[in-house]
Amino acid sequence: MKIKKVLALLLIACMLFALCSCGKKEEKADAHLNVAVSFAYQALDPHLDYCGWNTSMYGICESLFKIDASSTAKPFLLEKAENDGTKWTLTLKDGVKFSNGNKLTADMVRRNLLRAAEVNNRFEYLAGFNYEVVDEKTLVVDTRELLPTLPSDLASPELGMIDLDSTTDFVNNPICTGPFVPVAFTPTGDCEVKRNENYWGGKVTLEGAKFFYLADDESKLYAMQNGEIDVYNSVSAAAREVYSQDPDTYKLVTIPATRLQFYCLNENRLDDSLRRAITLIIDKDNLAEFQNGTVSTTDGPFSRNAAYGKVNVPKTDVAAAKELLEKDGYKLNGDGYYEKDGKVLELKICYYQARQLPTIATALDDQFRKAGIKTVLQSEEDPDATYVKTGDFDIALYCMIADKAGDPYFGLDAMFRQSSKWAIGGFKSDEVETLLDELKVETDTAKRAELANKIVQLVVDEDAFGFLGLFTKTTVLRKGVSGYAENIPFDFYGLEATSTKE
Amino acid sequence: MKKYILKRLLQMIPIMLGLSLLVFCLMYISPGDPATKKLNAMGIEASPEAIEKTKEEMGLNRPIIVQYMSWLGNMLKGDLGESYHNGMKVGELLKKASGYTFTLALSSLFIALLVSVPLGILTAVKKNRFIDYFIRFFSFFGNSMPNFLISVILMYLFSIKIKLFPVIADSSVKGLFLPAMALAIPLASRFVRQIRAQVLEELDKPYVQGAYARGVKNNIVLYNNVLHNCLSPIITLVGLSIGTLMGGSVVVETIFRWSGLGKLVMDSITYRDYPVIQAFVIYMALIYCVINLITDISYHKLDPRVKTYGGTK
Repeated sequence: MKIKKVLALLLIACMLFALCSCGKKEEKADAHLNVAVSFAYQALDPHLDYCGWNTSMYGICESLFKIDASSTAKPFLLEKAENDGTKWTLTLKDGVKFSNGNKLTADMVRRNLLRAAEVNNRFEYLAGFNYEVVDEKTLVVDTRELLPTLPSDLASPELGMIDLDSTTDFVNNPICTGPFVPVAFTPTGDCEVKRNENYWGGKVTLEGAKFFYLADDESKLYAMQNGEIDVYNSVSAAAREVYSQDPDTYKLVTIPATRLQFYCLNENRLDDSLRRAITLIIDKDNLAEFQNGTVSTTDGPFSRNAAYGKVNVPKTDVAAAKELLEKDGYKLNGDGYYEKDGKVLELKICYYQARQLPTIATALDDQFRKAGIKTVLQSEEDPDATYVKTGDFDIALYCMIADKAGDPYFGLDAMFRQSSKWAIGGFKSDEVETLLDELKVETDTAKRAELANKIVQLVVDEDAFGFLGLFTKTTVLRKGVSGYAENIPFDFYGLEATSTKE
Repeated sequence: MKKYILKRLLQMIPIMLGLSLLVFCLMYISPGDPATKKLNAMGIEASPEAIEKTKEEMGLNRPIIVQYMSWLGNMLKGDLGESYHNGMKVGELLKKASGYTFTLALSSLFIALLVSVPLGILTAVKKNRFIDYFIRFFSFFGNSMPNFLISVILMYLFSIKIKLFPVIADSSVKGLFLPAMALAIPLASRFVRQIRAQVLEELDKPYVQGAYARGVKNNIVLYNNVLHNCLSPIITLVGLSIGTLMGGSVVVETIFRWSGLGKLVMDSITYRDYPVIQAFVIYMALIYCVINLITDISYHKLDPRVKTYGGTK
């Protein structure tokens, strides 16, 4: 009897031990997140080229500002940012420190900004500012000209903060302020990170994560199905279909993002009524349908949800378009195409092989032919060196990030300025130029949105440009995984202190 | 023989220089510049000033011939330059990528030969029998299927269904198996057809008929005579395949995230990364020339009737 009792107790002890071991093992395994990423860079140095995008996504590096779900740049490493004309007073939060325990100081911020200006030509303008270190926590930046977009600029992942005094290996192991620190990094390959035990922002939930560079969509889908990865974004239309059929295992989060598909109508070759007819023929909903939910339609260059995304665009109306053409002297010929003075109306649509522009070109071809307009599709490898440079197009398709960091100025300036590359399409408006000048220096957010909307409305009313769709950011997360910046429309956010895996 | 090898090696120099000049000129004629590509890589428009400064730094504002001569001078000193796209040393990039490609190429070639030589002989010997039709059907099948489809099917079968190999492969033997198979299947399919044709041609020759008439055993004729005489064309085939495989297979390398030469050069073309493209062309020309030389030498070794220098006997 005694032996039986002892055996029973031993058995219970063994079972309890096994259960405890299981629990421990599970907790440890669960604390690691495996992520697939579509881009890989040569270094973790955030200031270099676009490397900061991944360093930020890996949770290693942080910038002074952070863009939130409503696309607004909010102070992050900063307590506050006060603006008085060209002067910005940046006050650092208490206790912000690097992973090695060193404090982030105002002088270190200054040196970081100057280093970024030195190594990255896109941020060279930062070298032209005047910096005054008031105390350990306060930096005054004099931009010399009014620059209301400074918070958005400072939210760029390329302006992440590094401990420049302690970092010895900028490529593989920059010492930053993020919730994670690098463990192993392969240039243009994978990256493994572990929890930053000194994180200034509090507890970091995950123990670590591994980022696998997987460029192929099929491979990402299979790796997810095989349980080798837990989360990734930029999910393809085909993979979305697969995941959406298994909601118990996968969670799909789709939000409008910032990459814009648009077209430019060549005013040097198309008169006002023809441009209006083209605008009326193009059916954006149909184009979005063709792209299987990877884009959402848009009225202007920015999301309809943004304060600076409110614009009125004419609805698709093929009958009205035909009426316009006929009023302009075009008549349908025996082949069903419009012609004038014996010349068939033919539109040259130029595009390049990326960002689903070939799909759009094919769908547009169909829409125009149905409306009685012949089209010639021309694909180029490099738009900037061909049709955008020569102006040899009727309709030029293009894709770019219009909203770089929660502000409209960058996108509008790149598209509608008389000095921009798109001036080749013949759009010239002194009113737009004046409004852009105003927008450049306007500090009031509401007024900025108002100005931006006014500018886009002028462009739309002139049928100079058309805005087709904004790519959606679709993230797939295995059940139990959350907090992978799935609700923020920017590609450079990912792992955070609050990222979890149950 | 030494004189012949030296002569061939010297002949390579103008070939490679001519080729590099041609590629350099072609790259510059084609539209696009690396500075714009680099700065606009993520879809963010860079300012004209930033593009101009980057061009200046890259030396792209210099005349083409100056750029070419500068590149050539550095290359002769052993400096292949730095990648325009990511600033990494071109020599290191090539070295790393060719290590991967070399491993993948040899593995797939080994698998292809292991399968295709016996099957090729078998189909020839069993001409127009069921086994011949059966193998030929699969060789047509393997030959006509595109690489990406084979890769996806293999991944689906072996990773998702059987769970024998991970989808996210590393450079271990386990990681090598699927990409090697993806390249070996079409290669073996082509080899089977060509070996069959070669063996059939030999089997029809009078010396084979004579050997059979003299009562020499089937296997002896097949392995001692026929196969020996088939070796030269098979070696040519293998030589050419090594060249193609060393060029890398972009699709297979991308799907199986194998960081080989194919992927490297495709990325370089996309980003107009001239230093990498130039070095790749030189490297590939060198590989082709060396493989051709080895193939020619092996012809002579296998068949002394073929004279490698001064014409044929």
